[in-house]
Amino acid sequence: MTHASPTPTKKYDLNFARWVYENVDGGDRMALCMQCGTCSGSCPVGQQMDYGPRKLFMMIRAGLKEEVLKSNTLWNCVSCYNCVVRCPRKVPVTYILHDLATVAVREGYAEAKESDNSRFAKAFWWSAAKYGRTDERLVTALYYFSFGMGEGYKRGMANMPIAMGMVKTKRMHLGMPHKCKNTGELKKILAKAAEIEARSHAGGAGNANPAGGTAGHDK
Amino acid sequence: MTDSTSRSRTIMVVGGGISGITAAVEAAEAGHDVVLIEKTPTLGGRVAQMNRYFPKLCHPTCGLEINYQRIKKSKRIKLFTMSTVEAVKGGSHGYTVTVKTAPRHVKPNCTACGDCGQAATSEVANPFNYNLDKVKAAYLPHTMAFPMRYVVDPSVVGTDEGRAIAAACKVGAVDLDEQEKSFDIEVGAIVWATGWRPYPAQNLTAYRWADLPNVVTNVEMERLASPDGPTKGRIVRPSDGAVPKRVALIQCAGSRDLNHLPYCSRICCLASMKHAAYVREQIADATVDVYYIDLRAHDKLESFIHRIQRDPQVRFIKSKPSRIEPGAGDNPMVCGENTLTRDIYAEPYDLVVLATGMQPSTAEGKMPSFDGDVDDYGFIFSDGEAISAGVASGPLDVSMSVQSATAAALKAIRAVTVAR
Repeated sequence: MTHASPTPTKKYDLNFARWVYENVDGGDRMALCMQCGTCSGSCPVGQQMDYGPRKLFMMIRAGLKEEVLKSNTLWNCVSCYNCVVRCPRKVPVTYILHDLATVAVREGYAEAKESDNSRFAKAFWWSAAKYGRTDERLVTALYYFSFGMGEGYKRGMANMPIAMGMVKTKRMHLGMPHKCKNTGELKKILAKAAEIEARSHAGGAGNANPAGGTAGHDK
Repeated sequence: MTDSTSRSRTIMVVGGGISGITAAVEAAEAGHDVVLIEKTPTLGGRVAQMNRYFPKLCHPTCGLEINYQRIKKSKRIKLFTMSTVEAVKGGSHGYTVTVKTAPRHVKPNCTACGDCGQAATSEVANPFNYNLDKVKAAYLPHTMAFPMRYVVDPSVVGTDEGRAIAAACKVGAVDLDEQEKSFDIEVGAIVWATGWRPYPAQNLTAYRWADLPNVVTNVEMERLASPDGPTKGRIVRPSDGAVPKRVALIQCAGSRDLNHLPYCSRICCLASMKHAAYVREQIADATVDVYYIDLRAHDKLESFIHRIQRDPQVRFIKSKPSRIEPGAGDNPMVCGENTLTRDIYAEPYDLVVLATGMQPSTAEGKMPSFDGDVDDYGFIFSDGEAISAGVASGPLDVSMSVQSATAAALKAIRAVTVAR
């Protein structure tokens, strides 16, 4: 287990906690966390995380921005909502982890961008946004080949028997990907959503940089 | 002091627990007529259900006995048991209170000899022991009951059993024809000493109180440890009667939790220290684990926590357990994260005690309308016209309840004597 106690070698971003409270989905309630440990104790995949949610929240408060945004905790949450249901402070732990994951990608952390879950999410989103449907073949292919040509081929071939079985039992089809009825409308909706999101994040993420100072945070 | 109005100088106290008793006795001894209304067949309330008080671990029977003597000696206190306030009318010039009395089916000439209990064959729920056991349909509420008078459960009225119970009474005190009564009383002030109930443990679904027999609440633990309780004071596992060797005490079970009681119930930390002491006194080789978020010893009582902390067989684990799971041999498994070592644990225990918090009785929504105001949780605000005493005004321990009740008595006296 990595140590989070303050050492002179660690970099602290003293504005990070404030930035999370104000900009991350559910972050305002995170300010109420009393470190009881219910979330980490409830987590079915806590052992597969670098840090449990309780510890991650403490690290956010400590300003360990790098460690937080590089951690696999953000990506290994399976959205079971056990922690959200049990949290005595009604902290929406799941929302916070998911939104921190997008922050990590937006800020360009290699650990975030190259994580399995991030690669898969990217492939999934590409298909969902393009067709309004997820096409197993395209999603899997995109995900596998994100590891490179050789690796993609290797993983693809390893899964071929499963794919053939699915085709045989009509769980997967051959031919053109299925689409929703009106992809044009879908694109308009997504464009609007992107516009709203850009508006709410305008100038936000930059302030989380260690060098970013408190610009825009005069509270 | 002025002669002022025609306002009644009688003070009504609603609730016959330690706060209500104190307010009634204080007001009566200061020269006022007092009407004391109690819902159950006996005075004493939750305090009578305690095994001992913290921090000195003395028995509540002592304090109650002194107060019962004061009530007996006072000619000014009128006591109505098995009675509830149905309606309150009026305001600044006094109140007209409608009181409803349920039938006890036993007249005041009862000598508490117990013959009716011998004659009874059926059993009814025993709320005094938090339903850990049952009582005969003709019963004395508990050994320290006041008034010392039996109760015949309405379920046997009109049955052969009921007639046998009536026939068994040598002094003819059983009256099966007694009906519910309702009457109005004019009073000048009302002290609400309606008390509390333990927060319903079945709401804490992750802690499985409802379906795991060896998960009990702190109030049940008091009964298990009480000499007049269902086990005659032996602390045993409800599932098999075995003596527990590993006991877990879980703090903040439903308190400081926005899904349950958002506030700190104040008494539970010290009550659990008391439970650790009970276990360690009775079972020499038992270990006790206390799971806590923060240990909160209110007032001057921190030394009591320090005393328990010196015991090497009592461990303190900083963690709010996330859940309790069934384990082998009816051993509940307490699961969670130790927030100091950051370890995930799953520990089996023989017995788990949930430190459930205090919820005001008024939260049950049976409060008659009155001119006072309650806060978001049902506690009665003490400023303004309404006068509240004890836990009706907020979570308090016994000594603080007594202080609060004395203050309430003074407020009531002022309300009926000082012109406004």
